[in-house]
Amino acid sequence: MSNARVLVVDDEPQILRAVQMKLRGAGYAVETAATAQEALMKAGMRPPAAIILDVLLPDGRGTDLCRELRAWYSAPIVVLSAVGEEKEKVDALDAGADDYVTKPFSGDELLARLRAVLRRAAPSAERVITIGGLRIDLEKRLVTMDDQPVALTPIEYDLLRVLAQNEGKLLTHPALLREVWGPAFQEESNYLHVHVSHLRRKIEPDPARPRYLLNQAGVGYRIVDPAEAVLP
Amino acid sequence: MRVRAALFSLVAVALVTGAVYALRPVAPVLSLGVIYLFAVLPVAALWGFRWAVAVSLVSMLTFNFLFLPPTHTFRLANSENWVALAVYLLTAVSVSELSARARRRAAEADRLAREARDTEALRRSDAVKTAVLRSVSHDLRSPITAILTAGDVLESSGEALSGDEREELHAAIRLQARRLNRVVSNMLDLSKLEADAAQPAPELWTVDGLIARALEAIGPENQRIEAVLPEESPPVRVDPAQLEHALVNLLENALKFSSPTDRIELSAETVGREVVVRVVDHGPGIPANERERIFEPFARGANGDVGPGSGLGLAIARGFVQLNGGRLWLESARETGTIFALALPAERIPTAAGR
Repeated sequence: MSNARVLVVDDEPQILRAVQMKLRGAGYAVETAATAQEALMKAGMRPPAAIILDVLLPDGRGTDLCRELRAWYSAPIVVLSAVGEEKEKVDALDAGADDYVTKPFSGDELLARLRAVLRRAAPSAERVITIGGLRIDLEKRLVTMDDQPVALTPIEYDLLRVLAQNEGKLLTHPALLREVWGPAFQEESNYLHVHVSHLRRKIEPDPARPRYLLNQAGVGYRIVDPAEAVLP
Repeated sequence: MRVRAALFSLVAVALVTGAVYALRPVAPVLSLGVIYLFAVLPVAALWGFRWAVAVSLVSMLTFNFLFLPPTHTFRLANSENWVALAVYLLTAVSVSELSARARRRAAEADRLAREARDTEALRRSDAVKTAVLRSVSHDLRSPITAILTAGDVLESSGEALSGDEREELHAAIRLQARRLNRVVSNMLDLSKLEADAAQPAPELWTVDGLIARALEAIGPENQRIEAVLPEESPPVRVDPAQLEHALVNLLENALKFSSPTDRIELSAETVGREVVVRVVDHGPGIPANERERIFEPFARGANGDVGPGSGLGLAIARGFVQLNGGRLWLESARETGTIFALALPAERIPTAAGR
């Protein structure tokens, strides 16, 4: 992924600068924009491999920019949001953003998110998914953790499959409900967190400190390979 | 208002007249005039001086007309009766004035008391604000100082430092920034709680899930926490963000008040229809006389201002737990260490969810 071009949009010069340095250090080519207007222009002239976007911009909400970009731009978008901007964050995800990082964030965290969304830009059609010690055989519907078979209920299996097929990607609660239960079963949404905790008890070495199936407070869940995960 | 006063006065005078009529056989009629004070007094108390004077006059005229010879005229037979009537009238008027004055004084006293209450409330809220400012500025300043110092050292003597030392300083900056962040969210939460603006958004969670969230939020320091999950983890219906925050505050409190080598125990069990979570530390413990006070905002340990933290944490934890129908209390009375217990009502869940 080195030399992939990333457009960073933030109105705070200090943050823009720090993100720019961090991304350059990791081998990305970085462009910056301080306003939604400038971002649209720069992205339109030379579409970048990914966009990192603050949800609050001086000349318009990042969410609106996100929606506008999505009309023609399909590469990953990661939004930056601060405490107290939870609504904006969820709106941005609904508007087509792939992931988010909460301010204050560490550079490593941002890099990890960026790597994950870029990798996912090319999804695989594998029949067997391996994530760390977790192995899911989609044809036989078999799940093993560190070579030990794991017995899952049908819902737990579907939940795990959907998350694993989107490794690293944040799946929002509505997205998970749609994928696992289908649009007709929205009332089961209540049990999502309960199913997740049952699933964790079956696959996590330490369910109190999950390393595979991670929660993103108030937004959704994602599955990651613990070896690649970065502590915030 | 006026109609009621007039009606009341007439009824009162009529009643007293009836009483005088009834008592006439047992007492000299001249001495009975004083009973009209029972009509004058309540009127004075309820509607003031003017009405009382009017009632006094009507009373005396009625008394004269009906009872003083020659009866059924307004004339008076002898000077003795003149004097009696004049004395009654005078008494009635002075009593009215006194009563009206007492009424005014009571109103004035009421107003003063109300003002005093308002002033006291203002003063208290001012005192609270001062305490907030003092405590918050301490909480903000200490991480800021740590960050500034680490930054300075990295800048001025970066080359002289070993790789490990540099990493230590970077880690300190990250840790302190995280602490700073938490002080800010605590302040936001407390202001929401105090303004009754922290409406919980309940969802079905398990205690497992809440504990996992809290441990993750605490970051690397969570390695000191030994978590024991219950055999069965019944669901609870709570606002997960608020409960996470309550748990984080309890755990941070435990980490803060015990030595870095001591372990913190975090356990959960089902007791009857409740799920009880316990946070156990092996720190110095809390003296008996401070046990209830620690849940008040800005309370701190006995060593007062030198202790870390603003003392907002436990107040917020209890606030959030109570908002979600739970209880939070201090359980231990041991020599050392502290046990906080947090109970949440367990949700009965239909079998369908077990699929």
